[in-house]
Amino acid sequence: MVNNEFMQTLEDENLTRKIAALSRLELTDGEISLFTTQLKEIFQYIELLKKVDVQGVEPLTHPLDLATPFREDEVHVFPPAKDGKPKVLGSAPDVLYEGFKVPSIL
Amino acid sequence: MTTPQTISSIHAAFDKKLLSPVELTQDYLRAAKASAHNAYLTICEERAIGQAKEADRILAKEGRVPRGTYPLLGIPLGIKDVLTIDGVRTTCGSRILENYVPPYTATAVERLESAGAVSLGKLNMDEFAMGSSNENSAFGPVLHPTHPDRVPGGSSGGSATAVKAGLCVAALGTDTGGSVRLPAHYCGIVGMKPTYGRVSRYGLVAFASSLDQVGPMTASVEDAARLLDVMSGGDPKDSTSSPNAKENYLQALGRKPDWKKIRIGIPKEYFVGGLAPDVEKTIQNALKWFESQGATLTEVSLPHTSYAVAVYYIVAVSEASSNLARFDGVRFGVRLEKAQNSENLVEFYKHVRSLFGPEVKRRIILGTFALSSGYYDAYYRRACQVRRLIKNDFDEAFRKVDVIVSPVSPTTAFKRGEKINDPLKMYLEDIFTIPVNLAGLPALSLPCGEGDQGLPVGLHMIGPQFGDAEILSLAHAFERRS
Repeated sequence: MVNNEFMQTLEDENLTRKIAALSRLELTDGEISLFTTQLKEIFQYIELLKKVDVQGVEPLTHPLDLATPFREDEVHVFPPAKDGKPKVLGSAPDVLYEGFKVPSIL
Repeated sequence: MTTPQTISSIHAAFDKKLLSPVELTQDYLRAAKASAHNAYLTICEERAIGQAKEADRILAKEGRVPRGTYPLLGIPLGIKDVLTIDGVRTTCGSRILENYVPPYTATAVERLESAGAVSLGKLNMDEFAMGSSNENSAFGPVLHPTHPDRVPGGSSGGSATAVKAGLCVAALGTDTGGSVRLPAHYCGIVGMKPTYGRVSRYGLVAFASSLDQVGPMTASVEDAARLLDVMSGGDPKDSTSSPNAKENYLQALGRKPDWKKIRIGIPKEYFVGGLAPDVEKTIQNALKWFESQGATLTEVSLPHTSYAVAVYYIVAVSEASSNLARFDGVRFGVRLEKAQNSENLVEFYKHVRSLFGPEVKRRIILGTFALSSGYYDAYYRRACQVRRLIKNDFDEAFRKVDVIVSPVSPTTAFKRGEKINDPLKMYLEDIFTIPVNLAGLPALSLPCGEGDQGLPVGLHMIGPQFGDAEILSLAHAFERRS
């Protein structure tokens, strides 16, 4: 008989795999197993929040009450690099003309 | 090094021609290069010497330091490697940005440099500021400045060690859940997290945008005030920077506290089990000093304290998982050969993002889970509701007191390797610092004595939102006690 704990672990590991895929992360089997154990422990700890009565409490997503400031719709020219090319291309892994080049994906 | 260590003493030496900015910068560059602490990831020698020469020129022209226009003239600083400097490599302690050279400078750094400061280089840190011990840097751990078997704290561990070990006069750190205050406490320096919005986050590589704040890490409260004076204030490039008028922090230090009117809150939830006896004793001694000056000590209650770490590890990782989505290998960063040869975009991203370290991966997965369909209400929304209750606790307490004083962390600096395999245990080091970020408050860590084995203990002073000047002024008075 397969024990329940083993089945649960498999299920948990599949969830870790699913979330990793959503996060565009590739994990080794070793990482999947380690992370699953650690994440379970962390989520068990986070269960603590269920004890708090949050009925009617407005969620706080930001510490300050700020209004969105508006500014004039003006172009600010970003100074080019010494070679005259756009500075932002300086750290590009691959460049084609004045754009970021990526591998063909189709 | 026998050179003066504080900004005012350095400026006095400049005035008397006992020292020149170039000589001082060279001294610090030499110390930084010779150090075995692994505090610097990049030293920008040529750029620093250029800035120091400009300071020499200004000094020669003016005859003495023009403190009004150049309040930081010729002062060598270290910058945490999460803040950008145009043309200087910025790694965030990560392999994924090992070769990234940003095309712009963070507002905080730009303001310091415009005030005459010299940037010596970029300081080591936990990868993407995720960590409490500096063991998560892809470029190796930073050593504690005085106790080599201990961690310097994180994530701004390079900044704390550099200041304490004399590898810069002052440094910038960033604090999302305690990353300035914890290393300041472990290493025995001053570290301040200003009110959220006081300092622009433009050019700060985001970890958790609603929590991150840039702060000074210095040898004295006065130097922290000097740095904050220069770098605080609204910035059109950061819509979350506060338009509130800035205060004059240095001037605030000159005002002697009216002790009879000062009410200090002691949160009872911070002095419960788990607090190390040597930390508690040192903090109690500091409290006695405040009492002896005439301040009133009052017990206050922050009843939701025990939920803060759980709230933080939902809110921070949720924000991080979306902030770190930008590291896709398209516009900057390292693109491995296998990524370049990918068959499709999903493979491409996976190969690029394989360069994240384990703690970063763990937090991205946590955050993606917390925000995923079906779990959002149970985790993220509930965490934000409890976040409101934590902020309400502080609002309530600050109706009765002017400042809250507590330990920074339950223990002094722990041993390297002691907690690295137990993330939850590591997270709990931040139990006293995290609530401050959740509520957006100003707080600082101030050396207040030594615990067992001569390890430094920091005093945690927390103010209400925009009460930065008040806590600096009280900290300054404490620092000057005889």
